[in-house]
Amino acid sequence: MTLEHKVRGVDHTAFPTFDPAGTVRFYRDVLGFPVVHSICAAGWGPEDHPDFIHFFFDIGNDDRIAFFYYFGLEPIHDQARGDVYAGFGPEVPEFFVRSRHLAIHVDDQDDLLEYRRRLDDSSWPVEMQIQHETIESIYTHDPNGYMVEFTRAMRPVTPQEDLDATLTIDALLDVVAEPEPSFGKLLARKAELIVERAGAWEQAQRELAQADR
Amino acid sequence: MTAFYVLDVPENTSVAKVAAEAGAAVGRVGPYFEITADESIVVDRRATGCRHAVWYSCIAGVAGGTVVQHDKDALRVDPA
Repeated sequence: MTLEHKVRGVDHTAFPTFDPAGTVRFYRDVLGFPVVHSICAAGWGPEDHPDFIHFFFDIGNDDRIAFFYYFGLEPIHDQARGDVYAGFGPEVPEFFVRSRHLAIHVDDQDDLLEYRRRLDDSSWPVEMQIQHETIESIYTHDPNGYMVEFTRAMRPVTPQEDLDATLTIDALLDVVAEPEPSFGKLLARKAELIVERAGAWEQAQRELAQADR
Repeated sequence: MTAFYVLDVPENTSVAKVAAEAGAAVGRVGPYFEITADESIVVDRRATGCRHAVWYSCIAGVAGGTVVQHDKDALRVDPA
């Protein structure tokens, strides 16, 4: 049974900041994201919660990125790597530190390059521009150290890629349920699932297409 | 026998083409290319023209074999 899919994207994603001035400059003044909501709240509750400002920027599609600024709160770590929320020591590999990020969608390459221009003219220039498998992206870090990506699709996603994703996840769940999961074991399990299911999937797609005619 | 699978999307078609030119048989299972040979299969990356992100994610599955090389030069799948 398939559960009905009723959600409608990101309402907001929230991050702490110790630099509200830099954050507003980056999101509102450099990127042009409108401020769309804010809350000024006196600290309350069982913890010694500081007074805070919770403020929101529109990231398109009525989705929002939000920040908390807590009056009087000092930075909670002094690690050189990571962001203001999470710091990492030298024992943590760089690929892991750089794994968590927010990717904001744009329609096409013109729009991607427009955001590249805005960033390159600012204190937070683009650090990388990369063509991945089917998307092209630019990256920078905001004033809080959070990695921000802008990305555009180089072509629409095809139905067979949805099948492939389904088979990947089913194979992954099988492999991680056993000891010592590996990429080799995943590819072997996925080959079995391709043989079992890919032919029937294509036949079903063909019948659907005929029924639509 | 050596067999591996590659999803048929525009970025991947040159992988199947170069494998065929290298002597492998290229068939289909649903929307996947099924690339098979009795011996090893070697695909030259530069001949495919794939950029790195595409190249390193082009294999969907491996049956009856083991990936023994997948680097900037080539993909090599040996029989199990």
